[in-house]
Amino acid sequence: MKTRLSLLLAGTLSLGVMPAYAHHSFAAEFDGTKPVRLVGKITRVEWTNPHSYFYVDVTDAKGVTTNWGCEGAGPGALSRRGWKKGDLKIGDTIVVDGYRAKDGSHLIDARRVTFPDGRTVYGGSPGDGGPGDNGTDKGNLPGTGNPATQ
Amino acid sequence: MPLLQHICQLLYDSHVGTAIRESDNAFPIIESVHVLGITLLVGTIALLDLRMLGLVLRPIPITRIARTVFPLTWSGFVVMFTSGFLLFWAEAAKNYSNPAFRVKLILLALVGINPLIFHTTIYRRVHEWEALTISPWRARAAAIASLTLWSGIIIAGRAIAYF
Repeated sequence: MKTRLSLLLAGTLSLGVMPAYAHHSFAAEFDGTKPVRLVGKITRVEWTNPHSYFYVDVTDAKGVTTNWGCEGAGPGALSRRGWKKGDLKIGDTIVVDGYRAKDGSHLIDARRVTFPDGRTVYGGSPGDGGPGDNGTDKGNLPGTGNPATQ
Repeated sequence: MPLLQHICQLLYDSHVGTAIRESDNAFPIIESVHVLGITLLVGTIALLDLRMLGLVLRPIPITRIARTVFPLTWSGFVVMFTSGFLLFWAEAAKNYSNPAFRVKLILLALVGINPLIFHTTIYRRVHEWEALTISPWRARAAAIASLTLWSGIIIAGRAIAYF
């Protein structure tokens, strides 16, 4: 029975399909060696536990537009960094620095989000072990080693 | 849209579901309460299971242990079920298609059937065997099923986060 059960669980675990919706460490889904910067317009915001999601339309040099999903920490952690529900509005142009999903889909873990007014907020989940995670709410902005709220 | 999925979407879009999902603190607090409820429930159930397997509290008759843990087990169940439902309320539309959540529900159904069989069969004659160091095989089978299923439920529950 135990064997059958663990086989069942192993089977479901190996399905590993996108999109990822729940709470997990950075390395469970994202690749720390694949940094990416997105500049685009907000199309949708999900201010949700245990992770928040927002979506941006990014147009590349050839004029092709792709909708990217960006995953950030939950409402509690983001609020403590001064990012309130409603700060991001549909149509806002933002800059997101993050890391691509391991499965190659158009999903990134948003580590640094720059708002239209120039304000920059750390986006990682506290304690997720991803780049910039220093065990605190604030985290370090990728590449700077500085606390995020500036 | 299948009826079940429709119901999940209604729960998800409701005021309460949305409030929990978008809360700063309620969601993580409910998650913690859920884990504490599981601790109480599964911890006390495991005690009885391990006693029937002859691994702990051997000199103590089964019914004495059962009577002692009964209120704790049910308190744990109420806390676990209530907090679990609140978490589901907040995430219902996402849970619906989550394979780990589906496995967890199946295991929960099985773990509910287990004590029904146990209490209507071998446990009816518990006074004949409750003082034995190791319980009869039917009781041991129920104990192993219980321990295995609850372990699977906790693993599947944790795995919901990874889909």
